[in-house]
Amino acid sequence: MLSYVFMKILEARPASYDRRIDRVDGGRSRAARQAVQARVADGSRVLEIGCGPGTLARSLAQRGCTVDAFDANRAMIEEARSQAGDLAGDLADHLHFRFMGVDGMDRYQAGAYDAVVSTLVLSELSDDERHYALGHVARVLRRGGLLLLAVEVPPTGTGARALHALARAPAVATTWLITGSSTRPVQHLRDDLAGAGLVLDDWSQNAGSALAVVVAHRPEEA
Amino acid sequence: MTSILRYLWGLLFRIFPCPTQTGLRRIGTPMRDSPVLVTCNFDLTLRRLRRALRGIDAWLLVADSKGVNVWCASGAHELNARTVVAVIKTSGIGDLVDHRTLVLPQLAGPGVRAQAIEKQTGWTVAWGPVRMTDIPRYLEHGIDAPMRRASWSLFERLDTALGSLFPFLLCGALGFALFGRGLLVDYVVVAALAFVGFFTIIPWVPGRLGLARALVVDLVLGGGLLLTELTLHNPAPRPRADWIIAMVLVLLYGGEVGGIASNLKSDLDPFMARLGMKKIGNVAFAGTIRTDLLNGWRRLVLDPTRCERCGACQAVCPQGVWLTPADSVARLVNEDACTGCTACLRQCHGAAIRAHRVDETAAGGRSAL
Repeated sequence: MLSYVFMKILEARPASYDRRIDRVDGGRSRAARQAVQARVADGSRVLEIGCGPGTLARSLAQRGCTVDAFDANRAMIEEARSQAGDLAGDLADHLHFRFMGVDGMDRYQAGAYDAVVSTLVLSELSDDERHYALGHVARVLRRGGLLLLAVEVPPTGTGARALHALARAPAVATTWLITGSSTRPVQHLRDDLAGAGLVLDDWSQNAGSALAVVVAHRPEEA
Repeated sequence: MTSILRYLWGLLFRIFPCPTQTGLRRIGTPMRDSPVLVTCNFDLTLRRLRRALRGIDAWLLVADSKGVNVWCASGAHELNARTVVAVIKTSGIGDLVDHRTLVLPQLAGPGVRAQAIEKQTGWTVAWGPVRMTDIPRYLEHGIDAPMRRASWSLFERLDTALGSLFPFLLCGALGFALFGRGLLVDYVVVAALAFVGFFTIIPWVPGRLGLARALVVDLVLGGGLLLTELTLHNPAPRPRADWIIAMVLVLLYGGEVGGIASNLKSDLDPFMARLGMKKIGNVAFAGTIRTDLLNGWRRLVLDPTRCERCGACQAVCPQGVWLTPADSVARLVNEDACTGCTACLRQCHGAAIRAHRVDETAAGGRSAL
């Protein structure tokens, strides 16, 4: 459950990011990514927040989706573009990667997307950035469109939370010394979603786990 | 408890990043006409800034600087227009105030390009003072010349030097604790005395750079040691461990001093460049404009036909290198004081200031001198 802290270190090597984080967390983030992917309908128009090396975006493109994706890590975007170039046929034409942070989300058209997806990104954002991003998610989704998140949150249960906080501290310190940054479990995601005008549909989180798969949608009527 | 530990970490281990959350902070009870200030997300800076702003009502935007202080982060371009634009947009500050004026710390000049912010957001940038303690006076009366100049008071010398050197001193103490316990107490006492002594007298020690001044101090210490030993143990002087430790530490202090203050020229970078070393890790030496300026391989040159008389060069230079008289083009008035921070190059509206290679300057570049 501490592996998501270490992803800040793994981000330094985009080409091997997926393989390494798989090894560190025993495949849990891959499973979460697949769970997110499974909820996206074939042929959808998708926006991905924090796409990393573009693994999820490529999978979605192979299912006929058109994906706009961005990441604040330039090396990740370069890796994503490079790997997209290796795709067969015209699949790369369905992928649009952009180097930017969430502050650039105002460039995307209102109501243009069937789904917005994001895996292990919200815990890297400040509170202001998260609120801003979710506000724009609600704006760019079409009515009824889905927000699909894999997100680091505090485990359920007081004991598990305390244990998690205690065990997390050395990992945070190590990551912080190496990268000068760290992640923070998202504390009030349900409130944040409601504040952005999104309706929570599903929250999947195993007991003791700090990883949740969250589904929300933009209501039909504002 | 965590707060105290973070404060001590920021104070004593300043060479490591210590990030705090980015975003909007309310100082006092800000209103729609309250000033909007920008700072970095170095924890210690934020704590001290809050103290300096006590009694002031203001909005404070904490921009991502990777947990590093304003001067170092802007020099490394980690604090830049992109990170400031990001916090302007994600904080929603535009909805909270009726004006569009942003006060940036002057020492952000090397990294944060004001024109880029103005173009991307419509906000106007005003350059605040060098020292955060001057902000209340700045907000009350506006900027004046002393506020623009970097200083290095005794407190500032001891404070910045402690933050920069403590990890090295601690490593030394650990070394003595493990391999020379008999000298540990001597080391601690000597390290403290040499530290306070060196940084107290350094402004008056002859020499241009920190290392040169350290050598002067070491010569005096060495002479003192010799005289003392000749007097006490004549005719067979013996080297004294505590004096030797003091001399070594003074060299360390002197070598480091150039890199820690905004009004001193760096020793290390230009020295490395002269040796032909291009980089250590991710830190580049040779070929950067800063090291070229410090080594005298480039000189600042003004093209008066391009100068827009905006005064940005004067506003951001912490050394008073530039002067922009009213309705006149900028003038290079104090080139010797230039520390090569490149703030003037970055902020010049008309790209009138260039760092020409010396051979180019000689070949026809129009020098402002």
